[in-house]
Amino acid sequence: MDRADIVHDNFLRRVAARDLPTGEAPSGPLSPADAVAAYRAGCLTRALDRTSRAMQKAGQGFYTIGSSGHEGLAAVALALRPTDMAFLHYRDAAFQIARAGQVDGQSIAWDMLLSFAASSEDPISGGRHKVLGSRALNIPPQTSTIASHLPKAVGAAYAIGAARRHRPEHQELPDDAIVYCSFGDASANHSTAQGAFNTAGWTSYQSIPLPLLFVCEDNGIGISTKTPKGWIAAGFQNRPGLKYFHCDGLDIFDTYRVATEAADYVRTRKKPAFLHVKTIRLYGHAGADVPTTYLPREEVEAEEANDPLLHSVRLLAEAGALDPSEALAIYNDTAARVARVAAEAVKRPRLKTAAEVMAALIPPKRACKPTNGPTPEARAAAFGGDMKQMAEPQIMSRIINWALTDLMLTHPEVVMMGEDVGRKGGVYGVTQKLQARFGQDRMIDTLLDEQSILGLAIGMAQNGFVPMPEIQFLAYLHNAEDQLRGEAATLPFFSNGQYTNPMVLRIAGLGYQKGFGGHFHNDNSVAVIRDIPGVILACPSNGADAARMLRECVRLAREEQRVVVFLEPIALYPMRDLHGDKDGGWMTRYPDPSEVIGLGEVGQHGDGTDLAIVTYGNGCYLSRQAEKRLAEDGVKARIIDVRWLSPLPDDALVAAVAGCKRILIVDECRRTGGPAEGLMALFTERTEVPLARVTSEDSFIATGPAYAATMPSADSVYSAAKALIGGGK
Amino acid sequence: MTRKTAVVICPGRGTYTKTELGYLGRHFADKALLASFDAIRTGLGQDTLTALDGAPAYSVARHTRGDNASGLIYACTLGDFHAIDAGKIDVVAVTGNSMGWYSTLACGGALSAGAGFEVVNTMGTLMQQSLIGGQVLYPFVGEDWSPDAAQRANLLTLAAKINSRPGHVLTLSIDLGGMLVLAGNEDGLKAFEASVPPLQGRFPLRLANHAGFHSALQAPVAAEGRARLAPTLFGQPKLPMIDGRGTIWWPGATDTQRLWDYTLGHQVTEPYDFTAAIRIAAREFAPDLFIITGPGTTLGGAVAQSLILANWRNMRSKADFQTQQQSAPLLASMGMDDQRATVI
Repeated sequence: MDRADIVHDNFLRRVAARDLPTGEAPSGPLSPADAVAAYRAGCLTRALDRTSRAMQKAGQGFYTIGSSGHEGLAAVALALRPTDMAFLHYRDAAFQIARAGQVDGQSIAWDMLLSFAASSEDPISGGRHKVLGSRALNIPPQTSTIASHLPKAVGAAYAIGAARRHRPEHQELPDDAIVYCSFGDASANHSTAQGAFNTAGWTSYQSIPLPLLFVCEDNGIGISTKTPKGWIAAGFQNRPGLKYFHCDGLDIFDTYRVATEAADYVRTRKKPAFLHVKTIRLYGHAGADVPTTYLPREEVEAEEANDPLLHSVRLLAEAGALDPSEALAIYNDTAARVARVAAEAVKRPRLKTAAEVMAALIPPKRACKPTNGPTPEARAAAFGGDMKQMAEPQIMSRIINWALTDLMLTHPEVVMMGEDVGRKGGVYGVTQKLQARFGQDRMIDTLLDEQSILGLAIGMAQNGFVPMPEIQFLAYLHNAEDQLRGEAATLPFFSNGQYTNPMVLRIAGLGYQKGFGGHFHNDNSVAVIRDIPGVILACPSNGADAARMLRECVRLAREEQRVVVFLEPIALYPMRDLHGDKDGGWMTRYPDPSEVIGLGEVGQHGDGTDLAIVTYGNGCYLSRQAEKRLAEDGVKARIIDVRWLSPLPDDALVAAVAGCKRILIVDECRRTGGPAEGLMALFTERTEVPLARVTSEDSFIATGPAYAATMPSADSVYSAAKALIGGGK
Repeated sequence: MTRKTAVVICPGRGTYTKTELGYLGRHFADKALLASFDAIRTGLGQDTLTALDGAPAYSVARHTRGDNASGLIYACTLGDFHAIDAGKIDVVAVTGNSMGWYSTLACGGALSAGAGFEVVNTMGTLMQQSLIGGQVLYPFVGEDWSPDAAQRANLLTLAAKINSRPGHVLTLSIDLGGMLVLAGNEDGLKAFEASVPPLQGRFPLRLANHAGFHSALQAPVAAEGRARLAPTLFGQPKLPMIDGRGTIWWPGATDTQRLWDYTLGHQVTEPYDFTAAIRIAAREFAPDLFIITGPGTTLGGAVAQSLILANWRNMRSKADFQTQQQSAPLLASMGMDDQRATVI
């Protein structure tokens, strides 16, 4: 017999017999009406869990991870305001249901059943996934990636205080809101979660406002692995900057009392707190998980005997709020109601085509107030002595710095965060003077944790900022990549475009730093960025392009709510000369702030048709050197700068090579997984032109004299071009 | 026989018309209760409901006055609600339109029959005494009832424009299925009537003896109502009640102070979203049947249109609704004898 049925039968039998588990008497500020509201939310949670299993058996439902045992979270919801943004644990149906009762005109049973049914009318995900979430309830949807929502909760909490100082046009959260973030005891161990706790504490320890309530729902087990007894309390009772609260989640009165105290602490002190809620897990991890296969039956039954709904029935009776017979009627009426609603919900339409599924990958555009940009006086004040140098050609790092300055002047919602971006001005000086120009709260020096940097950006974006986080080196992205892949990129998808986290993520990367750094400072792999649906990857090859593209990237984030990665080739930051000493061939003038290179617009140098060299980043530089030698050999070539590495600008690229007799792809990333693979496929599919590629080897980058040995060089490009022209395909 | 589940819908003002004369006499079973209502009215110097209902002829001037119509409609509604056969019908929730909210409170058990009468009679009398502004009705769906969101938006834009003119007041009063009821002062209403094309030989339809309900114009009435009607009149409902925002008030979980506050605050001075109430009734209770109590038969269209707007059971037009209604009736109007017979 299914444990869900056993728990159900036990409830009916024990309430009828008034055989209720013992416990503390009800006490605290929970009113009788709110206590019944919490109980009702619990009954609906339970009915939905049972119905989801029935729906799955009937082939009409597609998700069975339940919230049974965690019904007490309804009382936590009642202790908060519906404007407190909530990043929920996947067992928090009771929280969402109770919150729905705080907001007018909600149809929470219908909405959740549409979600179980994966109907395209599911109001949060549009039928893409069973997620908890609701725009009206300030609950952004969360994926199942364990604890990956914690870093952005830290960011969102930080953004509440930041918005008081700089009002973003699209501010979401009231100044007196707090951010709520829940998770299980097992996922509290995840390094992502631990990073978020650490960042919250680190921030609070410095008395920076961070109104964040972490809630650990401790049911004592993660699928089959038990949490050591006392582990959560031991681990969180004494963390710096993080105040610890504890309540019995089986007791809605105790839970409400403690949650109210914790929420008040967070709201009034603007400091993070950790609320440890003791719960139980009923029915195992999910529908297919049978807990008696790895736990003694007696232990499972002992948990079931502590059904929080049974505790609630006792507490409500003792509080004089509800007679057990009335409580039983509510339970049964709710079950019948859910069955009726489910019978209608399963008939609603579902997604069918790829286009329907993908419709939410790219978020909708949003209206932004027009801006004329900064006044000449404001620019002069910000740039100071730099203004005089703008007439002269400059290296790329300086031009990016100026572009950032203009963007921050124009858009007060732009904030930057990263390791050493503020006081030091970046390890390569790209963000020098910006902290002096815009203040510490717009140029945030973060702690050393890339997940926290990206979490800060995602969270701030959810309160209307346009963050420009910086990852110091491309190789450092990888330990935090899920924040981009699993969180930032998926938010529009799982919310059907209702929630977005637009940003421009700047990453210094790629190879060719002469003898410096080795692999971790010269990483040349972008595969993990290019395959994330919806994310734009831009890579400039020179200063003027960088400024123009950066403006477009900020526009894409600000107006089109896109997640953009701006990959800056480190080796080109200081590059001055192209062909010879002091020729200044790789320096450019700072383009007027009105000049923009649009998404998908490729660059072209030369118009020869003997050969098209298709490349990007450092490859442009090397190809220009090779092209000079080729020209001396009589080869008329053109160089196409791809600029936008994802999505590849297919049509523009095909148009750019039109009429060319050969195509040579030069890719400084690895042969496996590099953009060349996509470019080769594109030209093979769309043209009849012979083509070849020069790429990096499938190797890590060496330090010392062999720093460039595994990567394309001007010589190898020249040789490959000659071979291609001489030998055909 | 399995009982049918039903959501009961209480009608609003304007539903006790010429054809309803004598409705209480025909259908109101609890004579003692009616006598108690009459006694209250006599004490206030008002005509009794019995006298009004038993009048030899229907008078628009007399029967549609707020201080008369409200009590009449309330009593008809309550009588019909009590007439529903619990052996056949399992009432799972109650809702109403406009003044029908007061009836909902009584049917749902949050107000006793007497307290409900006190609330409805007081508010109806206050409305009549003040009679601030008026209401005009105009459809945004065609005669096939297909939803036309653009036309609705156009009408609201027009209302907002008129409302912004000096001396003009015109705001949304009720979202009534495929129709909008607008509330305004005379200038506002006239401007609207002059701006829209006549439709179906009836619209724009000015509602006689109606004030500008559910608008800021009624703030003085709300204040007076709050002064006269104590929160202690309100108790826990016995049935879930769906209000004019689509919010559900659950038995046991209702904050009665908030219920009082809504009833004599937001409900009086802000738009009433009957469409949302029906949408929520369908989605959260999925009843077999929607029962519209008497008096009158005019609310059925708005209920059906609201269900179409919610795409309930995939209905997208009047024809879809009629097909549904013929195969398995979704709507029972107690003001129609044949349909009444199916629920009593």
